[in-house]
This record gives sequence, C-alpha cells and structure tokens, in this order.
Amino acid sequence: MAKVLYIDFERCIGCRACMLGCEECSGHDHLSRMFVDELNPGETVATSPTPCMHCVQPACAESCPVQAIQVTEDGAVLSASHEKCIACKNCTYACPFGIPRVDEQRKIMYKCDLCYDRTSKGRPPMCVSVCPTDTIQFLDEAEAKAKLDKQVQFKWDFGGTVIETRTVIGIPDLQTHRYGYNEVTEDVL
Amino acid sequence: MPHPQNADYSQRTYAAIEREGEVLIPTHCCFCGMQCGMNIRVDKDSNQVLGVEPRYDFPMNGGRLCPKGVAAYRQAIHPERLLRPLIRKNGQLVESAWDEAMDLIVSKIRDIQGKYGKDAFGIYSGSSMTNEKCYLVGKFARIGLGTKHIDYNGRYCMSSAAAGFNQTLGIDRGGTNPWSDIKFADVLLIAGSNTAECHPLSMPYVWGARDNGAKLIVVDPRQTKTALVADIHLNLKPGTDLALVNGLIHVLIKEDMINHEFVKNHTSGFEDLKAMAEKYPPEVAARITGLPKERIVEAARIFGQAKNGMVLFARGVEQHAKGSDSVSNYTNLCLITGKIGRKGSGVATFTGQGNGQGGREHGQKADQLPGYRKITDPEARKYIAGVWGVDESEIPGPGISAFELLKALGKEVKGLLLICSNPMVSAPSLGDVKQYLTSLEFFVCMDFFLSESAELADVVLPSTVWIEDNGTTTNVEGRVIRINGIDKTPGEARRDWEVLCELADRLGRGQFFRYNSPQEIFDELRVASRGGIADYFGITYEKIEKMDGVFWPCPSVEHEGTPRLFEDRKFNFPDGKARLLAFEHKGPNEDVDQEYPLLLTTGRVVYHYLSGNQTRRIDSLRDKCPDPYVEIHPETAKRYGIENGHYVKISSRRGYIVVPAKITKITRPDMVFVPYHWGKTLAINNLTNPALDPKSKIPEFKVCAVKIEPTKQQEVRHG
Ligand code: SF4
Ligand code: SF4
Ligand code: SF4
Repeated sequence: MAKVLYIDFERCIGCRACMLGCEECSGHDHLSRMFVDELNPGETVATSPTPCMHCVQPACAESCPVQAIQVTEDGAVLSASHEKCIACKNCTYACPFGIPRVDEQRKIMYKCDLCYDRTSKGRPPMCVSVCPTDTIQFLDEAEAKAKLDKQVQFKWDFGGTVIETRTVIGIPDLQTHRYGYNEVTEDVL
Repeated sequence: MPHPQNADYSQRTYAAIEREGEVLIPTHCCFCGMQCGMNIRVDKDSNQVLGVEPRYDFPMNGGRLCPKGVAAYRQAIHPERLLRPLIRKNGQLVESAWDEAMDLIVSKIRDIQGKYGKDAFGIYSGSSMTNEKCYLVGKFARIGLGTKHIDYNGRYCMSSAAAGFNQTLGIDRGGTNPWSDIKFADVLLIAGSNTAECHPLSMPYVWGARDNGAKLIVVDPRQTKTALVADIHLNLKPGTDLALVNGLIHVLIKEDMINHEFVKNHTSGFEDLKAMAEKYPPEVAARITGLPKERIVEAARIFGQAKNGMVLFARGVEQHAKGSDSVSNYTNLCLITGKIGRKGSGVATFTGQGNGQGGREHGQKADQLPGYRKITDPEARKYIAGVWGVDESEIPGPGISAFELLKALGKEVKGLLLICSNPMVSAPSLGDVKQYLTSLEFFVCMDFFLSESAELADVVLPSTVWIEDNGTTTNVEGRVIRINGIDKTPGEARRDWEVLCELADRLGRGQFFRYNSPQEIFDELRVASRGGIADYFGITYEKIEKMDGVFWPCPSVEHEGTPRLFEDRKFNFPDGKARLLAFEHKGPNEDVDQEYPLLLTTGRVVYHYLSGNQTRRIDSLRDKCPDPYVEIHPETAKRYGIENGHYVKISSRRGYIVVPAKITKITRPDMVFVPYHWGKTLAINNLTNPALDPKSKIPEFKVCAVKIEPTKQQEVRHG
C-alpha cells in the first residue's frame, strides 16, 4: 500500500525544520520544496506546512506542455525532468495550491517529489524525518484517511472543481481548542 | 535492539541512508540540552563535512531535528571560522603564529600573577563544551593557574534550577525522570518555557501525553506556540510566579488534593508552607498575577486531581532575583501531591545550553569541585587533591559568580581567559560589561568565530567546533552521551583541551595535564566524581555506546545508571525527606513607574542559539530571523502611536535599543518582549537588570521596567 503525507496542523510550531531538512535531501540542490505559512499573524503564532498535495489528477502534470512532470506508480508527483522542462511556469499557474517553483537562474521547475530518492528506499521523506513535532507523518494511505482522533481532509472544492489529494490534512478540533484559527478573544489575554 | 531503559522513547526503526564515498559519524547536536542524535555525513577521503542525515535510532529524538540541528554542520565549513591566532597589534587583531601567541599569553599570566598575586588572573568559561573540557577548565584554573577566580555562563542559565533543586531535593539533576516519562503524565504543568521553540524535540513527548488524554497547563506571559495548544494558559504578569504557585497550593490544600501519606512520610515543612499559602487565596493570587481567579482554581484542580503529573520549567521561572525560590515552589506542587519518583511523575527544568547539566557538575563553578563537591568542604578538597596529585593547600578557595567576576575585572582581576562564552551579548547591562572587559590589562579568548567579546580581546586563539573533537555531554535528562568527531581541524585551529594542556606545560604545571585524548580526561573525571553527588565513576565510553547514554548517578562499573530519581522516595538529605519551603511573593527587583511604565521580558526564537555567535552566521537560520524585534500588544501600540513594522526605541535605566515593532495579541498589554540573540546596538541585554538572585547569582533577565516610543531612527541591520 502506498504511503502518503499526513499533516496534523495543530502540532506545527513553525520552526521550518521541514524546509531546512528538505534542502538536505540529495537531488534537491539545497532548494526547499516545502512552504510554511503563518495562519493569522498578529493574532496568533499558529503556522502550517504546505508540501505538494500530490493530487490524484495533478493539474501541474496535465498542464505541462512537454510532459516533464512524471507521476510514479505510488502516486508521487515528481519534480520536472531536467531534460524536458522548459521553465514555462504553466505548472505553477495550474496548481491550485501554488506549489511548483521555477529556479530562474537554472531555468528549471522544482517541486516536492516526496523525496523520491529516500522513499523509494523505504525511508520517510526528509521533512517527515526531521519535523520535531510529528506534524508531518508518512502513513499508509488508508491509515491517514481513517485517523480516528481527527477530522481529515483530502478533497478540496475550488469553485465547483473538486480536487482529490493523496496528501491528507488533519483538521484541529475547533470545538475544544482555538489553535489560533478563530479570533483570539480578550479572555485569552 | 534498544536497551530496555529506552523502550518508551520516540525512536524509529529506519536505518540511515549511506552514500558512496561517505561515512556517517553518529553524534549529537551542539545546541540546547536535548542533545539530539544525528549523523554527520563526511567525505571518506578528505574528511570534509558534507551534511546531515537523520539518526533514527537515537532514543531521545528518533531522527527528528529542529532547524538549528539540521543546520548545525554548516558551521564546521563556515568561511568565517578563525584559522590562525590573532594578536592585537596597533589596535588591530592580526593573524599571528601559535608560538608567538602562546609566548605572549604565558608571559602576561606570569607578569600579572607576579605583580598582583595568583587570583589576579581569572577564567570565564561556558557550558556548551564537553564534560571533559569543563572538567579540565576547572582543574586548569585551580592548579594550572592557581586562581580562585573561575566561573561560567551557566550562571545565566540554570543556576537557579540548581539552587532550587538543591534546597528542596538535596540534589541537582535537571530532570528527575527520563524524558519518555513525560508521555505517561496525566497532567503537564509547563511554566516559563516556550518548549515548542526552545526545546522543540520535547514536543513529541508532550504530544505523546496529550494523545493519551493528558491535560496541559502552560504558565507564560505570552501565548507562545506551547501555550496555543494548552487546556489552560495562565498568562501571568512577568515576575509573579511565587504568588501564582502560592495560590495554586492554597487551592490544593483548601480542596484537600494533598497526598497526606507522602507529605507525612517523605517531606518536612508542610505546616509552614500551609501557613504561607493561607495568605494567598485565589483572589489575592489573581490580583498579583493579573489572572482571573477562576482560572487559577481550575488549574489547581486539574493538577491536583490527576494521578500522575509532571512540572516542567525553564528560564522564565529561573531568570529572576527570586528564581531559585520559584523553582522550589514549583517543585512543592509535585511534593504535596506526591507526584514524584515514578513513571509520569516528577519535575524537570529544560536545559538551555548544550551541556548545561554536565557543565555545572565538574568544577567550573566558583564554589565547586568535580562531582558537585563543595570547594569549602575539607573532605572534598582532600579527595580531589589526591586525584590531582597535589597538596590540598594548593587548591584555592571559593571565587565569585560570573557577573560578580565581570564586575571585578580591572580591579581584583587584571587578566582573563574567556572560553566558549560571549558575555558581550549574554550578560545583563552590557554597557557596563564592555567597560569591565576593556579595563583588563590582558584579555585572551578562545573561540571558533570572532564573537562580540572576542573582538575586544588582546589575543584570540582559534578553536574547534563540536564535530572536530571527541568527548561526552550530559543532556537534559542527566544522560551522559558521546560526541564523536572527525579527525580534522581547519587551518591552524586547535582543540581547546590541547591548548590548555600546552599552556599548563608552559606555565611549569605540565605534569598535572598529561592527556593524550579526551577519553583519558574522562577517565580522570570518573574518579574525581566518584562518591560525589554527580557520580560518573561507572560510566565508560563503551557503556555509553552500548546503552545509547548512561544516566548519572552511576557509582560502579556494574551499575546501569539511574534514569529515574527518588523511586525509593529517599531525598538527598540526612533525614531522607524533601523540604517543603515557603516563600512570600515580593515582586521583581525593579518595578514599573511613571517614567518606565512597561515590563520587558526576553527570550529565544527557534532559529538561534544563545548569543547567536554561531547561528547568526548560518545563512539558512539567519534568513529566517535576521534581526530582533519587539512584540507589542495592539492596545499598547495604539496608546503609543506605534504601527506594525515601525521602529521603536525601548529604554530602561541602563540603556536603549531601536528595533521594529511586531504588533501581536500574543503578548500582554502591560509588557513587551524582545528576543536576545543579537549583539552591539541590537542587544536587548543593554537594558536588562543585573540584580542577582542571592542564592544562585543569576541575573534578573526576565523582567525590568522600560519605556517605549516610536522613532525615525533605524538601527536594525543584520547583527
Ligand atoms: S518542521 Fe514540523 S513543526 Fe516545524 S514548521 Fe515544519 S511542519 Fe511545522
Ligand atoms: S499540489 Fe500542485 S504541484 Fe502538487 S500534484 Fe497537485 S497540482 Fe501538482
Ligand atoms: S516530501 Fe521531501 S521534497 Fe516534499 S516537502 Fe518533504 S522534504 Fe521536501
């Protein structure tokens, strides 16, 4: 069974070790393919990591005019192949999550490849390996989707177009905790 | 197969990836007391450091690393490394030969000690070094130089935890439990620690407990990443911990959540504590701390009703003029509810420095000899004199603490050797510190980068980073671990233990410093610590390797170490009872007034380590947080007409800095927060109060009175 990224938003401490770790993976040329965002700056310190969502039908690959973006048997959507990529940025515009970037100097797209050199050898990706809080985990797809203690999301509605992703997000329990997603009331202060 | 002592950790079972032409050196991070395991990738032929690879099998972190850990290797190959000794000539530090530098140092030491006596040459050292180096520095001071003046920067870090634990438990091991015990707590009370940013690798244990249903209480003036996920956040006014804990104890007693059996049989002093707590009903505690009283009551109930629980704290509790007593008071919470000495129950402080624990055990402190022995104790002196092969009278008496030592510079102390520390960023009231350092007749410094302090030295000796040497450190749990290094140093840089031995030789004391390796130093340390409180005698390099670290006390070679203290409920006093000590809230040394109406508190960010001398130079870390800033609550910002990103001048009675505003609701309206990792005009320690805790001699970094005003001046640049 293929393994996927599972991301438990609530645990992220915004340390960006995932980004630094991503840079250390051989084949990543010291360029991070991970993004970490502040969710509500000024209100809280909540953050969340965004790797590639590894879409089931990846718009990046579909939009690529030269078919430079391969999808592995396990469903990992790879970085553009050096030989084929023409740095046209179609993938960047097509991706609903804004993931692929183009290295302007070398004129080549780079994106999360699920650390294919590591995962193909049975090791977890670098971001998963280093994340100090287990925010990012590498789980069997079924296990990630059936997380019992969490509401999970892997289908996203973009104005009527539903995108299914292999990366699964664990949603914080907003009933019991704010986790910075709601307005911080004066009561907290 | 992991050793059984490590069964409950967050280990993972993958093997590290090995690449052609490379070797992996299993070692530990050089930053913070977690001392995470990591593999350094090294080129087989050239011994060049190439990168980092997770070390999944080390129990404490299972391959996980914070950003500092991932980037740590980069300092070994950093272009700003010092490669040759520097000597000040015509006001400039210029590269020179080792011989010239050593000759100069020895002649200056001789000169100063000849003129003013042995104690006129002092050592100020650090706690980010291996145990071997810490031990050697203490020995070098006492019998290499013959000076009583040695102390170290642990005084700014954990000395209050040490003093607090000593007066309450009779022993100072920063954690009474192995870290895996955190997972078995039903309640965690984390006070004055932004665990998520300062000790990120503790978070898997915190989450482990949470996943099992544990409640989390966080005491911190700011809504940090740790507080964000708490069940109860007690965002008290800085400097009011004693009152808060007295309030909690009041409720615990009033609602009878006391473990009477434990209190009766294993503690003394309960009646006095009860009488003190009587004076702090929730209303009173609420008034002093600025918290709603209901929240204090609720926190007390959650803590009191839990079967197992741990109290964890850090500098937010300790860096106060009452820091030691606050540590004791938080420890009281565990004692009166009987939460100590078993899985999931105990008390711990998060170690800030890499070897904050080991660094304070083996004789770097002005008043201590190896193994936590008191330098004034005739028995201890006799024993150590025997180990060192000197006459007891040759061991000097007690010296003075770090900040007092800085104040004595130019007066009682005319020459100084600074090792592995950067007081020009880390000491309080920096304007004064610069004066002290520049009034020295001779100032020599060992470092691998030219720190803010090294810039002021007469001679700078280039030393090595952690990955270029071997040795041991002692982590936050009291686990002694092995630092493995490569057999290479850049340029003419030399390992500090070799330099110290050569200095001793040149001073005619070489016979006491004949070591061929760190292991030989460690073997002497083992004997020196034997029978002391921090007993390392049974710990060997081989055993550390085999068990992934050995916890002290470990009194014999057959012994497997002591992961959990007090399982027998015997505390380290003659009567075997822990002492419940009672403390009145008196407030911080400096209070707000009309001129300085706000409280300032300081702390860390996840990307930087201590004075930033190392992490500020590593691009990938600096890029993420290049400059300091001031966190201001929106209400306060409005009152002063300050907008997000605008420059703010913050002043105290001792100095000022100018930094941009970060307007955020995570802080309190009556305070501001500034991180402390920068030097010169960006050092917040220009403002902090050097008032010392009388017991631990820690300065009151965590609270002083300031004023803020918007300014057009822009002083921020990459520090
Ligand atoms: S490493 Fe983990 S905790 Fe840190 S920013 Fe990335 S996801 Fe968040
Ligand atoms: S998230 Fe974007 S980059 Fe990743 S697979 Fe989907 S479309 Fe492609
Ligand atoms: S899976 Fe690998 S490539 Fe993708 S974000 Fe994580 S570390 Fe980077």
